Amino acid sequence: MKFVKYGSLGIISIVVLAGLGIPLSPSPQGWLEFPIIPGLEDKARNLFFHVPMAWTSVLAFLVSTYFGFRYLRTKEIDYDLKSVSAAGLGLLFCILATVTGALWARFNWGSFWNWDPRQTSIFILLLIYGAYFALRSAIESEEKRASLSAVYSIIGGLTAPFFIFVMPRMMAGLHPGAKGDPSGKGPLFEAKMLAPNMRVLFYLSLIGFTLLFIWMLQMRIRTARLDYESSLEQS
Amino acid sequence: MSAFSSTVALFSKDVRSELRTRYALNALLMFVVTAVATILFALRSDVPSPTVLSGMYWVVVFFTAMSSLSRIFVSEEERGTTMTLQLVASPSTVYFGKLFFNTALTVSLTLAVTVLYTLVFSEFFIIRTASIFFVTVFLGSLGFASAATILAAIVAKANTRGTLYPVLSFPILIVLLMTVMNATARALEGEAFSEAMGDFQILVGYILAMTGGSYMLFDYVWKD
Amino acid sequence: MEEFLSVNQMYIVLGIVLLIWIGLASYLLRLDKKLQELEKRINKGGHS
Repeated sequence: MKFVKYGSLGIISIVVLAGLGIPLSPSPQGWLEFPIIPGLEDKARNLFFHVPMAWTSVLAFLVSTYFGFRYLRTKEIDYDLKSVSAAGLGLLFCILATVTGALWARFNWGSFWNWDPRQTSIFILLLIYGAYFALRSAIESEEKRASLSAVYSIIGGLTAPFFIFVMPRMMAGLHPGAKGDPSGKGPLFEAKMLAPNMRVLFYLSLIGFTLLFIWMLQMRIRTARLDYESSLEQS
Repeated sequence: MSAFSSTVALFSKDVRSELRTRYALNALLMFVVTAVATILFALRSDVPSPTVLSGMYWVVVFFTAMSSLSRIFVSEEERGTTMTLQLVASPSTVYFGKLFFNTALTVSLTLAVTVLYTLVFSEFFIIRTASIFFVTVFLGSLGFASAATILAAIVAKANTRGTLYPVLSFPILIVLLMTVMNATARALEGEAFSEAMGDFQILVGYILAMTGGSYMLFDYVWKD
Repeated sequence: MEEFLSVNQMYIVLGIVLLIWIGLASYLLRLDKKLQELEKRINKGGHS
C-alpha cells in the first residue's frame, strides 16, 4: 500500500516537473528536449495531463462494473461500497477529462465542443455516470439500490464496445492521431511523431494517475465502510 | 408447459389486457400525432433534408417509446400481480414474454410514425431504398425493445415512475439511435442495400448483446 | 530571475501546477492519516 501511496505521489511529481519543465526545441537533442509538433506546440503537453484523466474515468467505470458484478454474485454489501466508491471517483475524473478537453479544444480546434468521436464518448460516459447516481438516489432500500445499480452499470458497459464501431461512421476524428485529423498532423502515436521521451513520460503519467486512482479509491472505500458501520450502530 | 409456450401465453396475456383497455396504444398514437404536429409547426414551409427527417423520425420514436415501454412492468406492480407472476413463471419466461410484447409495441409504433410521415411529408419523406428502410425499422424496434425491457424492469423495481426512465435509457440507446438514424438517412437518399450492411451488423450485435445481457441479469432485477 | 521567467513563461505555469499538486498531495496524505486514526478508534469501540 505504501507503494501505491508514494509511487503515485512520486510519479506524478516527476510527470509535472518533466512534462511542463522540459523545453521544446525545433531539433531536439537527447532526452531533455521535446520536439515541436506543428500545430500543437506547447499544447502538446496536455497529453500528460488530460489523457490520463480520460483513461482513469474509463478504468473507474470498469472497476465499478466489476465490483457490481461481484455484488450480484455474492450479495455482500462491501462490494457495493467498492462499486459506488469507484463510480464516484470515475465521475470526478470524467468531469476533469471533459473540462480539460474542452478547454484544450477551444484553442486547438477553435471551439469548446466539436462532437469528435472521443468527445462524444466521454459525454456518453458522463451521462451513464449521471444516470447511475440518479438511479441510486431514487432507491431507498439498500439491497435493491445495490443490485439495480449494478445491473445498470453492466448494461451500460455492454454498449461501450459499439462506440468503437459506430463513432467513426458518424463523425470525423479531430484528436491528434485520429484518422480524420484535418490539419494533417497524422497519427501522433506513430514512432516518428511521438518522441521517445514524450512517449515514456506519457506512459509514466498513465501509471502515476492509475496509482493515484487506486489510492484515492482505497480511501474512499474505507470512508464508505466507516460510514456504513456507523449507520448500522445508530439504527 | 414448455418454456416457449409459457412465454407465448404471457405474451398473449399482455396483448389481451392491452386490447381490452387500449391504454398504451391510445397514448402512443396521441403522442405520435402530437410530436409530428409539433415538427410540422416548427418547420413551417422549410424543406427538411433526409438527415433531418430521419433524425426527427427517430426522435419521435424515442420519446414515444420512452413514454410507453416503461409501463410494461410498472403496470404489473400497480395491479399487484408481480408476486403472482414470480410464482407461476420463471424469470426468463417473464423476460422474453415482456420483450416480445415491447417489440410488438415498438413495431406498431414505427409503423404508425412511418404512415404519418408519408402522409404529412409526402414531398420529402420518400423511401428510395425500401429494403434498407424496413430492415432498419425492424432491427431498430427490436434493439429499442431489448434495451427498454431490462431498463423498464429496473425502473419498476426502483418505484420511481416515469421521470427516471428517459435518464437511464438515453445513454444506453444512443448507440442504437445514431446507427438507425444513419441507416434511415441512407434509405431516404436511395443508397444501395449493400451500403447499409455495416449499420445492420452493428444493430444485430447490439440486439444480441442487449438480449443476452438482459437474459443473464434479469434474475437479479426480478427476484427481490 | 525575473528576466529568465518572462522569457521562459512555461516555468511560471510549472510553478503554479507544482504548487497545486503539492497542496492536493498533502491534503490526500493528511486525509489518509485521519482515516487511519478513525478506523482505529471505531474498530476499538466496536469490538470491545
